[in-house]
Formats: sequence, structure tokens, C-alpha cells
Amino acid sequence: IKDLKYADSHEWVKVDGNSATIGITDHAQDHLGDVVYVELPEVGVTVKQDASFGAVESVKATSDVNSPVSGKVVEVNEELSSSPALVNSSPYEDGWIIKVEMDNAGELKKLMDADQYTKFCEEEDSKH
Amino acid sequence: MKVPRSLQIWRLGIVNYSDALKLQEKLVSDRKIHKISDTLLSLQHPPTYTLGKRRTDHNLLISEAELKKLGAELHYTQRGGDITFHGPHQAILYPIISLRDIGLGARNYVEKLESTMIEIASLYGVKACPGQKGETGIWVGDRKIGAIGVRIQYGITSHGLAFNIDPDLNYFKHIVPCGIADKDVTSLRRETGNGIYEAVEKPAPHVTYSKEHQCHQALKRANGGRADAEMELAELLLHLLLYSLLLPF
Repeated sequence: IKDLKYADSHEWVKVDGNSATIGITDHAQDHLGDVVYVELPEVGVTVKQDASFGAVESVKATSDVNSPVSGKVVEVNEELSSSPALVNSSPYEDGWIIKVEMDNAGELKKLMDADQYTKFCEEEDSKH
Repeated sequence: MKVPRSLQIWRLGIVNYSDALKLQEKLVSDRKIHKISDTLLSLQHPPTYTLGKRRTDHNLLISEAELKKLGAELHYTQRGGDITFHGPHQAILYPIISLRDIGLGARNYVEKLESTMIEIASLYGVKACPGQKGETGIWVGDRKIGAIGVRIQYGITSHGLAFNIDPDLNYFKHIVPCGIADKDVTSLRRETGNGIYEAVEKPAPHVTYSKEHQCHQALKRANGGRADAEMELAELLLHLLLYSLLLPF
């Protein structure tokens, strides 16, 4: 999806002013399988770019979710506690995971745009 | 251009759960900074019950005190999956693999762990299959013979699979294994009746070794006699199968 930025660990970020909404991509949810549990951080914690802030569980595997940007968690998607499958069915909309108040918008430069991310996925998938 | 890849196999014998966890954490860190290549830990645990990230301890049917009286330990972990039991003569594989390097997702990786156990079961003439949706693991009919619980950090795996060669199945009575009630747990011993040893079929063509040679070697090495030799042979087969699945030529 255009307008979003992407990390190479397959998370997306949608920026609105200083606010960043974060989730995992369609590619990620497809490769994970059905998500049965989402571990969310507490509101107020700090997150750092490329560091893990939570995890998802699918097919008996827990996979870390990393933040594409640094900042403070201002909101988490509580819906995911009762409906973790939203991550699969609506990875860019209802399956959003956290909202972060960024402390360094310059970090966005390290992320990929939609075209770069598409290419990245193609290269990764061709490895196997 | 295909980059040569290798898998280092560490055969550890019986290892305490905490020690194995610490070792895995170190190996994951080392793998992350490319200090080591993909590594496979092959081991067994003393009697140990473990829970996953979701901490489903309602599936533990006895208290921790009673559990200790049985000579077992209880551990809470960050892996996926529900409650399970590990004990001697259950083969455990903990692959520390960079999934990112091979472009594999969690689902495909778990499927390969399942295939490994299905193939080894078939080498012993036991027909096993993956579970229904949401019941990851390996089943013979409605009896569970293999379990999976994985953790992925920085795209690197830890924890892995547990395959019942011949563990004491009574320990499973104290839990709702993997949170699935009304289903039994089984082992290669139970499914092959008489002799695990005799039951080994002709190896699959891509597993290039000689059965006689491996059996002979296993018997020579095993100090504890036949049961240990059976265990050793099964472990060797598991390594070869996982290796051939993860590193196709």
C-alpha cells in the first residue's frame, strides 16, 4: 500500500504528523499463519527503531514484532486481545497493533517505500 | 549464486531445561551477529513440564509441589504453544536457524519440523500426520507423538520440536497436553509394538547412509545398552532428516 513505510522485518508504519500507527504487513501475516495471540506493550513504554515491542503467536511459534520507529507508545489495539485474527484479515486497517508518538522523524528515511518493499519481498521469497 | 550453507549439530545428551535455555539465548545472539552458522541442538531433558508465552497453566492438573514430588521441574517460557512434558527418551531438536537468510516464514518452518517427524515415523513404519487446524504437532490417529513450540527473534529460531521415542508416558497424565483434551499421547515404542530397532525401514533415498553402519555405530557407542542404542539411532535419523529438509541441494 502506498503512503506507508516498511521495515525489513515486515512491519509497516503510517505517519500522521508526529503520530505513527504500526502493524505487520500482509506478507508477514501470510508467512506467519493464523495468529492466535498478540502480546501488546503497555501504553507509555518507549520503543526503539528495530527493537522488539511485542510478539504474535501462530502455528505454535511466537514471533517478535519490531518497531520501525523510536518513540513512546500512546495507544495499543485492545481489540487484538479478543480478536487476534484481525492481524491476518485486516493487517493494514483493523489489525493495527500500536500507535507511537515519534521522537525522531528522521528515522523514517531508513525505511522502505511501497515499491522498495515489494521488491524486497520478491527477493526474500526467491531465496527458498 | 548459491552461498554454501552449513548446519552445526551439537549432540548434548541429557541437559537441564534452564541450561538449555541459557545456551539457546547465547547461540541466538551469536547467530544474530553472524558469529556462528546455523546450529542444531540435539538433546533430552530430565522430567520437565513447560508452558509457552500464553502461560496456559490451567492445563496443569497438579500443583507445582506435587510436580516436584514426581521429580519434575516446571518452566515458563517465551515459546509458542501450550503446556507440554519433556523427559528422557524423548528426542528434542532446537534448531538455531536464521529464517531470514533462507527466506522462510514461521508457517513454512513449522511445516518442515512437522515433515521431519512424519518422515522419521514412516522410517519406523508408523503413519503419522500433522494435526487439524490449530493443532500443530504430529499425530498417529488421535494420539499425539510429536510436539512443536518455537520462538523467533530477529528472524532467528529457538526452541523447536519434541518427538516421543520412548519417554515415560505416565507423566503426560498430569497435564492437558498442548491444551487438547480427550486425546492420547503416544510414542514410537508404543506404535511399533515389539522392537523400535527392528522396525527401522529402508531409509529414504535422499538420506544417504547405510542403515547397518549406523546401527552398528550406535550399538558400539551406547554404554547403557539397547534402549540407548535405539535412542541414538533415532536421533541420528532426525538430524539427517531435518538437515535434508532445511538445506535442500
